[in-house]
Amino acid sequence: MRILVCIKQVPDSEGFITINESNGWIDFEGSYRMNRFDEFALEEALRIGEKMPVDSIDALSVGLPRAESTIRKALEMGASRGIHIITEESSDMSAFETASLIASFAREERYDLILAGVMAEDDMQSQVGPMIAEMLGYPSASSVIYEEIDPERRTLFAEREIEAGKRECLEMKLPVLLTIQSGINRPRYPALSNVLRARNQEITTIPSQSLQKPVKRERMVALRYPEALSKGIVLEGNEGEKAGSLLQILHEKSII
Amino acid sequence: MKGTMETRQIAVIAEHRNGVLTPGTLETLSFARELESLLNLKTNIVIAGKSIEGLTYDIAGMTGMDVIGIEGENLDLYNCESYLAALEKPLEELDPAYICTPHSAMGYDLAPRLAVRLKASCITAVEKIGKKGKSVLFSRSQWNGKIILEKEPVVKRAVLTVLSGSWPEPDGRPEKTGEVTIITIAAETKNSRTIEIREAVRTGFDLAKAEVIVSAGKGLGKEENLPLIYKLSELFPKSAVGASRAACDAGWLDYGHQIGITGKTVSPKLYVACGISGSTQHIAGMKGSQMVVAINTDPAAAIFSVADYCIVEDLATFIPCVIEKYHKLFSSHKESE
Repeated sequence: MRILVCIKQVPDSEGFITINESNGWIDFEGSYRMNRFDEFALEEALRIGEKMPVDSIDALSVGLPRAESTIRKALEMGASRGIHIITEESSDMSAFETASLIASFAREERYDLILAGVMAEDDMQSQVGPMIAEMLGYPSASSVIYEEIDPERRTLFAEREIEAGKRECLEMKLPVLLTIQSGINRPRYPALSNVLRARNQEITTIPSQSLQKPVKRERMVALRYPEALSKGIVLEGNEGEKAGSLLQILHEKSII
Repeated sequence: MKGTMETRQIAVIAEHRNGVLTPGTLETLSFARELESLLNLKTNIVIAGKSIEGLTYDIAGMTGMDVIGIEGENLDLYNCESYLAALEKPLEELDPAYICTPHSAMGYDLAPRLAVRLKASCITAVEKIGKKGKSVLFSRSQWNGKIILEKEPVVKRAVLTVLSGSWPEPDGRPEKTGEVTIITIAAETKNSRTIEIREAVRTGFDLAKAEVIVSAGKGLGKEENLPLIYKLSELFPKSAVGASRAACDAGWLDYGHQIGITGKTVSPKLYVACGISGSTQHIAGMKGSQMVVAINTDPAAAIFSVADYCIVEDLATFIPCVIEKYHKLFSSHKESE
């Protein structure tokens, strides 16, 4: 059983994002970290590795040189190998391009299972995972909240989270690609032994130019700040005055 | 169902449950109508299922749009592989410029694969259509709703998913009924099979019936602050506690409380968002609230763009302040109740 986990480095939501008018992209002040949904995917792979014999759990990221720290985090959590497809482009890379690069790498590796987060926290597109599956001809399921592999039959049972807490249950034949929904497990903190091992571990680097060059299918035309949907009233004053105003408003509307 | 050379088409892939179109599908039809009028296109509805002939005629009557019904034994429940196999050929023949589906568990499962298969562009969670010269632009939110991107497909086809709550459901019945085409296919699904839909586990409280919902987000900071949310909700009769996905992921509240695309959609009289940044995923689930109060330390939080009353404060100190003032102002009312 060979497993690939796709991870993305995202800006931490505590940071500040502003539009950079001169380069048509964004400026970000803050730290970068692993996409939360990918942490759940990696944790799920590690748990599979604890339940059955697994040859390798590879963690792969497509991104700028700084994405290395996120790949190292994956090694600290317990991934066996880190792979970095290094890109130079700093602006919006389309899901199709990212998926093409990963698929072009993964095709040779013949993974039995590919996991990714259901979406990236920053762009929330939910596209890369299913696109890789289509490119490789794997069956796929997104928003997976439970999975169970039958290694004898080489099948995978999955439950997808659909609307209002319902679950769609399906069975697929390996190789399979799943995108993992948050809440499927509790991602672990790295064990000290793994942290030490990861410190000097080599990461396989692949320049994106050496892989099949995908062509963008959509272009970004503009970035803008959202307009206020409702003309919301900003309550003024100190904390106590704001609390008083709020209660007054709720009282006038007969809610309290 | 021939795609004429003069008029490119729009195809809406309908999602249905228990013989009824989902609300997201109805909203997607309104999205398609807007696109139609902007570009002088024609919308076709494509629906797949096991025995859907009746539904197909209903939809043609209800919308006035042409409907292509694809029937197959393995199309009883949504399955990505069987839907792709069923849709591929009819869509190739129709050759639509835009293929639209709701941004639902079906939509975001299917759309990216369909786009790759049909060599199309893929733009998900579209919330607005714009036009700039000859270009048609589709807007979507990123970075927790703080910035909006406008994208333009640069190939001749695009697959779009439509964010729920962004278009109204269509009203009124058209004068003429649309044409119906039924195709039967014998698609064999080899690698994936949907077994069943499992109903949600019932919880002791009912978010849908609550008149006031007080919701906690990541800004709660720690589990120890959760009683504040409950205490605030107790000020209101018929209230319930909701949560953003991030608060559920942190383990503070279980997923039964979650409001948003993958959780519940609510429309209470009052929605109080405490420490919720306001990702599009969450906003789609509470946009229909009659009144929204948002409490957040970040004045740029996207939740403020849908709030009627915006309070830039830390909930950990602000909520106790509200509760204390409430008892001072209204304690006599409370005792008389």
